[in-house]
Amino acid sequence: MVAVHQVLPVFAPRDAIGNHTAAVRRALRDMGIGGEIFAGEVVPGAGNGARTIREIEPARLAATEPTIWMYHASTGSPVAEWWAAAPGLKILDYHNITPAELLGPWEPAVGVELEHGRRQLVDLVEVTNWALADSSFNEDELRRLGFAWTAVVPILVDTAHLADEAVDAAVLSRLRTRKDAEGGADWLFVSRLLPHKAQHDLIKAFAAYQFAYEPTARLTLVGSVGSARYAEALQDLVDDLGLTPTVRLTGSVPAGELGAHYRVADVYVSASEHEGFGVPLLEAMAHDLPVVAYSCTAVPETVGTGALLVSDKSATALAAAVHRVVSDPGLRAVLVDAGRRRLGELGLAGSTARLRRAMGRILDEAGLPTPVAFAPHRRAPESP
Amino acid sequence: MSMEAPGGTAADHGRQGEPAIDLSRLQSEINEEVRRRRAAGDFPPGLERELDAAFARYAPAGAGDNFEDVIGGAETQSYIHADVPTTSRLAVLAFAKRLLRKAMAWYLRFLAQEVTAFAGAITRAVRLLGKRVDVLETVTLLAGERTLAEVRERRAGPDLGRWTALVTAELRAVPGRVLHAESGAGALVAALTGAGADAYGVDPVEALAMEAARAGLDVRADDAVTHVKALPDGALGGLVLSGCVDALPLGEVLELADRAGAVLAPGGILVVLSTGPAAWARAVDPVVADLAPGRPLHPETWRHLLTERGFADLRVEATEDPAARLERVPADVPGAGALNANAERIERLLSGPASYAIVAHRT
Repeated sequence: MVAVHQVLPVFAPRDAIGNHTAAVRRALRDMGIGGEIFAGEVVPGAGNGARTIREIEPARLAATEPTIWMYHASTGSPVAEWWAAAPGLKILDYHNITPAELLGPWEPAVGVELEHGRRQLVDLVEVTNWALADSSFNEDELRRLGFAWTAVVPILVDTAHLADEAVDAAVLSRLRTRKDAEGGADWLFVSRLLPHKAQHDLIKAFAAYQFAYEPTARLTLVGSVGSARYAEALQDLVDDLGLTPTVRLTGSVPAGELGAHYRVADVYVSASEHEGFGVPLLEAMAHDLPVVAYSCTAVPETVGTGALLVSDKSATALAAAVHRVVSDPGLRAVLVDAGRRRLGELGLAGSTARLRRAMGRILDEAGLPTPVAFAPHRRAPESP
Repeated sequence: MSMEAPGGTAADHGRQGEPAIDLSRLQSEINEEVRRRRAAGDFPPGLERELDAAFARYAPAGAGDNFEDVIGGAETQSYIHADVPTTSRLAVLAFAKRLLRKAMAWYLRFLAQEVTAFAGAITRAVRLLGKRVDVLETVTLLAGERTLAEVRERRAGPDLGRWTALVTAELRAVPGRVLHAESGAGALVAALTGAGADAYGVDPVEALAMEAARAGLDVRADDAVTHVKALPDGALGGLVLSGCVDALPLGEVLELADRAGAVLAPGGILVVLSTGPAAWARAVDPVVADLAPGRPLHPETWRHLLTERGFADLRVEATEDPAARLERVPADVPGAGALNANAERIERLLSGPASYAIVAHRT
């Protein structure tokens, strides 16, 4: 049996790359391909039988069966060097590395790590046999760096079940009570608090929105603290602008509470300056939220025609765009419909089919035996 | 999404229940909404400036490109201490951490001192290097901010008044915002706003920006190149460049030309208002002429630069410099024809336009 072992710096629960890694393993097993998950650090609760790289000997594993090593690259890490040194064929799955200049001024150590990651990525060209990217934006970057064989395989997300969480009824009730009492639109954005996610631009746009349209509107920023300095600056900005009663930084919340926020929100707004893919945009669509997003990096590719993309994220322009979506039921309905269609296009079946096609080519080129479960699907015609 | 049929709103349902959005129309409607709200005072002129300033108060020094800020930030970061945090949600874990910290204090302190010494040496070396670069900048013509500031104080840019009609005619109906850099006290911004454009300006001289703000205009105290560089691609419908294009070093002018192509949305219009190089040399204060890090470019140079950057439908309009006009010999004087033809040639060779405007369309 062919084994594709996946390797990543950190394997954590409720993490986009961690979820993708687990989904890839399930998809590969359905194709008749084995393999385990190994990480530099396995966060408790991540499950999936993941082990740390310190617990295994790559040469011994590779000696027992035809082995391919798949590395999920998203930052600089010594795990990349471990992967590069492992014997056997290699797939690099690139989830993008945030440019250091966006994070470095706030978190110098992380900035150095990201720069290291980019340098490391260049070094990995030599040892990589095949490179996957979860968006064309990421694929373009790989090609510019010199990766010869590339293919796009979107993040494996079960878009049909993104809104299936068990909603925290108490939180939902509390949020609805407040909404009913105060009126006004609820803005929502979900992401870690990091400067390149540009929550500060959302706060500025929200201030302009309150000023010109709805003084009772609320902005909820859900996400754990990615940069303590940035999180502190955001809170200071909120206080400085007198928005403390209406802007809430919730930190990380359980899935049920997040579901409540999605259900109460009127609009999902993203001013993010860098996305390699953008799973929360899809989550918002799955909760029938109209999405207004700043058009940059992989955002247009992820949302397709399922969101109102704006090229100007100045406070007034973004506020006016959100106002338009909130106050125009026809536009809102069109965006929600378009979002649903986009979810269908990015569904698990489609993404898995792309993984299957990529793996088919890889196994062919590697001259490895084709798993029985895999073979019938490989003859399926490729979509254009 | 398919394009919507004429009539109705930007968001309608198309023929077979297929939702349709006319995105460009929707964007125009949103731009118009911003323009209307600005005019009504719902978005006050200084709102964005104040919001930006509010966040800037909390952004770390070094988040920008200012060398002093960055090196200052590095110096602050170069001190490494050994006081590892010991808090934990579990009391027993916090206790264990405190115990470990105490036990390893001698080791961590040694390492911290070594790293601090190394980081301190590096930052000191960079600061010394910075001082050397400062000296180089001071003694060269590209004297940077100090010279440029003096030039700005005494600048004799083109008389923008004579271009007001052209600029407003070209830009009053463009979709999206119009930026004037450098706008001075905002006369052109006022004219554009009066003509219906959603205009704002930037000027590096804070007093001028404040004067404009007092007049209710959206003019921000900012450097033209820095501001244009920070704008997202496609953010503007129109861009007017004046002043800065007469005085900035060539490298920065080229950078401005590059960014102009990016920040203008397709179909956007660029207007460059500049001074004829010969007229500039004649008219400008000699101190400015000698100290200026840059010189105005010839209109043909702009035509070349903009064409190279993908601009189309270029149009140059120029004004003559009366001071450079040579007296003509009366026609009845023998040899007048040859003399006057020579006078014209000399004018052409030595003078050129007093000022000029270039209108270029972003494809």
